[in-house]
Amino acid sequence: MAGRGRGRGSTLSLTHEQLQSLGIGRGENTTQIVAPPPLFPKLEAKPLSLACDAATDYTLIVKDQFIEFLHESPAFVKLKSQSDGVERYSDKYKMLALDAKQGKVLDCVWTNMPVELRPQANRTRVTSRKRKLEDPSEIAKRLQTLEKKEIQENGETIETNDNAETVKKQEANDDEDIEDEQEEEFEMDDGTDYANNYFDNGEDYDEEDDNLDDGPVY
Amino acid sequence: MSHQLGRVVSIILHRYFGDIVQTVGDDLFKCGSKPIGMIVKTTGLSRGLVIESLRTLLKYDIAAFEPSVNQLIAEYKLVPENVLLLIRYPRYLLQVKSKYGSEAELLIEELLQQATCTATVLLVTIATKYKDDKEKNITIMSLKDMFISLATAGYIQQAPVAELKEGSEIPTLVPVATIVPDLDTRILLQVMNAGNFNDVKDNIYWKVNYDRFHQDFRDELMIKAITRRIDENAGELMRFLLEQMYLNSPAWAPESNPVSALDVRDRCRRAATDKPLLQQYVDQYLKVLEESGGGFVRRCGDASGGQFCVRARAAALQLVRAALDHLVTERLGSKAARIFRLIRTKKYIEEEDIQKNAMLVNKECKQLTYKLLEEHFISCQPMRKAATAGGMAKAIYLYHIKLHEVAHTAREMCYRSLHNVSRRALHERTLHARLVDKQKRVRTIVHGMRLRGEPQENIDDVEETLTPPEQAVLQGVEKRLKQLSTAELELDKNLFIFNWYFTYPET
Repeated sequence: MAGRGRGRGSTLSLTHEQLQSLGIGRGENTTQIVAPPPLFPKLEAKPLSLACDAATDYTLIVKDQFIEFLHESPAFVKLKSQSDGVERYSDKYKMLALDAKQGKVLDCVWTNMPVELRPQANRTRVTSRKRKLEDPSEIAKRLQTLEKKEIQENGETIETNDNAETVKKQEANDDEDIEDEQEEEFEMDDGTDYANNYFDNGEDYDEEDDNLDDGPVY
Repeated sequence: MSHQLGRVVSIILHRYFGDIVQTVGDDLFKCGSKPIGMIVKTTGLSRGLVIESLRTLLKYDIAAFEPSVNQLIAEYKLVPENVLLLIRYPRYLLQVKSKYGSEAELLIEELLQQATCTATVLLVTIATKYKDDKEKNITIMSLKDMFISLATAGYIQQAPVAELKEGSEIPTLVPVATIVPDLDTRILLQVMNAGNFNDVKDNIYWKVNYDRFHQDFRDELMIKAITRRIDENAGELMRFLLEQMYLNSPAWAPESNPVSALDVRDRCRRAATDKPLLQQYVDQYLKVLEESGGGFVRRCGDASGGQFCVRARAAALQLVRAALDHLVTERLGSKAARIFRLIRTKKYIEEEDIQKNAMLVNKECKQLTYKLLEEHFISCQPMRKAATAGGMAKAIYLYHIKLHEVAHTAREMCYRSLHNVSRRALHERTLHARLVDKQKRVRTIVHGMRLRGEPQENIDDVEETLTPPEQAVLQGVEKRLKQLSTAELELDKNLFIFNWYFTYPET
C-alpha cells in the first residue's frame, strides 16, 4: 500500500464520510445474493386492464379470420406428409384432403419473381428432357447411325467393332446417367412418392396455359 | 435489427405462416441477404420447401430480393418492419370500415389477403362471393365506385412493376405512379357472367398503401391528444389544420408549410352547424392551441390574419415523452416518475439537486435514481475536475435523459413483451389444441344439423358431447387468448408512436 496515508479504514477508495453521504451505513450492507433472480418475478403493481370495446372485438375477429385464411391458403407451408409409419384406415382420406391442398400453388405475380421461384421453370426442363429420351425419331436416328457404322466397320476385326460399340454405348449411358441424376434431384424435392403424379389429371395442362403470358422458359 | 426484434419477427411468422416459413425467415434475419442455395444449406430444408416459403414471403412483401454482384442469382432478404405490419392489418380494416363503410372493408380485406391483385379479379371475386347475399346488397357497380374512390384517396396504389435490366435475369421491382383507373362496368359484368378470367387483359396490379393508413393513424393520434388536452372543439380545429396542411405540404414533413388562419376560419364557418362554439371563438381556440397545445402548432407569421405550422415532429416528441412517463410510472411507481420528469425539465442535474427538488426521502430518492439508471431510463455523465489538490478528485455526476436512446429502450421493451404475449398465446393454444379442435367440430356439426332442420333433441345430444368441465376450460382459454390478442394490438399502437418518432432523425 505504497503512497496511502493512514486512517483509510477498511475501504480502499472511500472514506467513512463519503460512504455515509452515498447512503451506505455500516450495518446496512446486505449479504450477497448468490442465487439467480427468479424467472418470473412478482409484479409490484398490477397491470392496467386492457380497453375492451366493440372496436377491439371487431379487430380480434378480423385478425382471427385473416390468420385462418392464411392457414388454409398455400401460403402456409407444410411438410408434404407426416406419417409415423403406422398405416391407418383413415390415411387414405387424410391423404386425399392433403393432396387437395397441396395441388394448389400460391397465386403470385410470377413476372415479379426471380426465375428460380417460378413454378414452370422446373417442369419445362423435366418434360423436355423426358421427351428427348422417348422421342421415337431420336431413337431411330441413333439406331441408324449405329447401323451405318456397323456396315462401315464390317471389314474390320470384331474386336474393334466391339470397341466402337461399347464407346457408343458408354456415351449413351453417360447421357442417360446425367439425365437420371437430374430427375432424381427433382424427385428428392418432393419428399415422398405420394406427391408424384403418375397420371395426368389435366391440372398441369391448365396451369401451363395460365402462365403462357409469362413467356416460355428455356 | 436487434435480438428482440428477431424473436418477435420469428414468432409472428410462425403464427401466420407456420414453422417452415419461420425457419426460412429466421435464417434470412440472421444473415442479412443470401441466395437460395445458401438458405437450403443452412436451414437443412429441401429446396422445394424453401422455394415455397420464399414465394410466400415475397408475395406478402415480407421479403425482398435483389440481383447479386454477378447479376445472375437473386439474393433474398427479410424486411422485419413489414412482418410487424401483419399484426396491424385489423386496424387498417377498422379504419377503412369506419371511414368508407363495409364495401371498402371488403375490398381492402380481399386485397390484404391476396397481397397484390388486378382490379378486375378483385372486384369480380368479391361480387361473386356476395352475389347471393341479399342483406348486404353488394353490386359490382358500387364496388367499382368504391375502388376508384379508394384509389383516389390513396389507400390503394399500383404495385411495383418488374423490369428486366440488360444482361441480368433477375427482375427489379420499380415503383410506379398510381393512375386512377377507368374501369368499364360492361367488361366487369361480362367477366362475372363468364365466370373465368381467361380473356381479361388487365395487367395492372394493386396493393394496399400502408403509408396512407399510417397518416390517418398519425392524424387521429394528434387530434385525440388535443381533444384530451383541451376540448372537442380544439380537436376539431386540429383536424381542420391538418386538412389544410395536406394541401400544401408533404405528409410526413417535420414541420408543415404555413397554413393561413383565414382558410381555417373559412373551414370552421362551413362546419358551423356542428360546432357553433368553434366558429364563434376560432381566434381564441387558435391562441389556446398555440400556447398550451403541447407544441403541436406554432404561429409562424402574422400575414393574412396569422399563419400556423403543424409540427408533426414536436407532436411525436410529446407523445413519446408521455408514453415514457407512463412507462416509468407503471414500472417503478409514481415517485420514480417524479424523478424522471424532474431530470427531464432540468436537462442536466446533480444527484443532490434531485434530492432537493424531488422532495423525497434521501435514501429512497437515491435508490430510485439508481434503479432508473439501471433500467436505462436516465443516463449519467461524470464530470471530473481536471486538477485537484487532494488525493480524492471530486467528480460531479450529471444525470440527464437521452430521449432517443430511452425511446429505443422502450421500443425494445415493446418487442420483448410482444414476443412474450405471442409466445404465451402459442403455449395456450398448443396446450388446449385438442379441446379447441373438438369444440370446432361440434360447432360445425351443429351448424350442419340446424341447416338440415333436424330436431332440437339431436342437436342437444351433439352439444352435450362437450362436458361442463370442458366448457369451463374452453371459456377460460378463450378469455385468456382474447386478453393476449388485445394486448398485442395495444403494443402495436405503442410501437406505432415510437416508430413515428424514429422517422425523424435525431437532432
